[in-house]
Amino acid sequence: MTMLPERAPGARKMGLVIDLDTCVGCHACAVNCKEWNTGGEAGILPDYDKYGANPDGVWFNRIHSYETESPERSRTVNFPRSCLHCENPQCVTVCPTGASFKRAEDGIVLINTDICIGCKLCSWACPYGAREFDEDAGVMRKCTLCIDRIYDETLPEAEREPACVATCPAKARHFGDLGDPDSAVSKLVEARGGVDLLEELGYRPTNKYLPPRQAQIPTAPQEAPARPAQGVGAALLRLLDKALSR
Amino acid sequence: MRPAASILLLTTLTGFAYGLLAWLGLDAAAGAAGAVRPLMLIGVGLALVLASAGLAASALHLGRRERAWRAFSQWRSSWLSREGVAAVLTYPVALAFAAAVYRAPAAPLTRLLGAAAALSGLGTVYCTAMIYGSLKPIRQWHNPHTAPDYLIFALFSGGTLFVLLHTLTLGTGALPAVLAALAAAAALLAKLAYWRHIDHQPPLATLASAIGLAHGTEVKPLDAPHFAENFVLREMGYQIARRHGEKLRRIALGLGFLLPLLLSLLAAAGRVPLVSSVLAVACAALGLLTERWLFFAQATHVSALYYGRSI
Repeated sequence: MTMLPERAPGARKMGLVIDLDTCVGCHACAVNCKEWNTGGEAGILPDYDKYGANPDGVWFNRIHSYETESPERSRTVNFPRSCLHCENPQCVTVCPTGASFKRAEDGIVLINTDICIGCKLCSWACPYGAREFDEDAGVMRKCTLCIDRIYDETLPEAEREPACVATCPAKARHFGDLGDPDSAVSKLVEARGGVDLLEELGYRPTNKYLPPRQAQIPTAPQEAPARPAQGVGAALLRLLDKALSR
Repeated sequence: MRPAASILLLTTLTGFAYGLLAWLGLDAAAGAAGAVRPLMLIGVGLALVLASAGLAASALHLGRRERAWRAFSQWRSSWLSREGVAAVLTYPVALAFAAAVYRAPAAPLTRLLGAAAALSGLGTVYCTAMIYGSLKPIRQWHNPHTAPDYLIFALFSGGTLFVLLHTLTLGTGALPAVLAALAAAAALLAKLAYWRHIDHQPPLATLASAIGLAHGTEVKPLDAPHFAENFVLREMGYQIARRHGEKLRRIALGLGFLLPLLLSLLAAAGRVPLVSSVLAVACAALGLLTERWLFFAQATHVSALYYGRSI
């Protein structure tokens, strides 16, 4: 059913909080996600041309690195990109079959790959580029928030979190209920001024990003090196310098 | 956006088909079916054949064709589902219309069914247009031009077929040719207005807002997540050189709209009506395929921002 579910008051909104200040851009989340989801309940995540010139495949996480610059500071920002489990997900409402759906009980956006016809319209409707097409199975794939880990009671409680969160060596990824204002993740978002991506598009993402903190030391962009002086005097000095440094 | 051949064929062929059905239906609704019964019957047949060809082409786009029937279920939220339902409903309406024309071309029921067939065909075109018109991340589609443009192009392309059928069955058709020329002129103006609109639109978002940084922060891509193209870049990051775009726009304009306009006027004047109406259909088909290719190729998607593309 691709009509969006009515969210019951107090219903959970499970999601991720990603800290752009501490993310080191190591791709461990992407790799552990790929590993878990290629073997987990979701089945194989395909790879094409694995050892060839154009290796490609389905990944639920993509890690970009950007250089940001403002007049007094410049820094690298590593940016993990995945499904944000939006509250207003157009990827769900455009689906003609009901394969793409949002769960009422925890807000997780999923694909039922057993009924997906592979029309790709949901991927067009997602401004975050979070959905990737499985060319082998002919269906769309996306992040499941590791639904087969977070509710698996046979796992030790500490491991009931998404693979990307479990593996992050910088603890830049946090998982929890963003619908509960008293949860650890909600408090973190509150304390650090967590933001929505592409707020202007109105998808109301559940996942939040914590902006990079301002460095206390100004790190102004490097100025271009001074050009060597021109003219006869400068040429003589260079000659002298060369002779003396022999 | 990547222009997939299956979708170009679907939207162009159904445009011709449902546009033709609209002309036939409206002609009958106006009470003219009696004089042109063979035209009506051949026309409805042709429209259904073209629509079926387009729908078959669209199935080629699916990853799992055998599940296509499931697409009829979510009409409450999905324009793609609505398009499927409308396309299927158009068959019985068009067939009932044809049967009514065959039995009693001038009966009030025939006129009513003509109007219903026209409405159902154009309704399907509207659903197709809204698949694109409703997608918020694509500014070249999510704007007030998309839906009216698809309807105008359907009436224009179907009009060229209507004139051709008129010429074939009655030898001439001055009034339809004049109307077709008007539709061609409307299509030409609509396309020019659309291009003007998308060329002056501001981007929907910036890279800074895409990664949650303060407005106005300068952001440059440093390292991409992967070094070969992935699905997102292939599907949503399609790029076309500006100069190629300009050239193709001129081809679409000349071939797709201007030539059919002149040829329709020629047919209206009674000069070589058969040759000019056949040529008008051929030019409209090639020109509209070019126009539809550009509609995709020149559409940009917000997700391409993450890869440093301009949108």
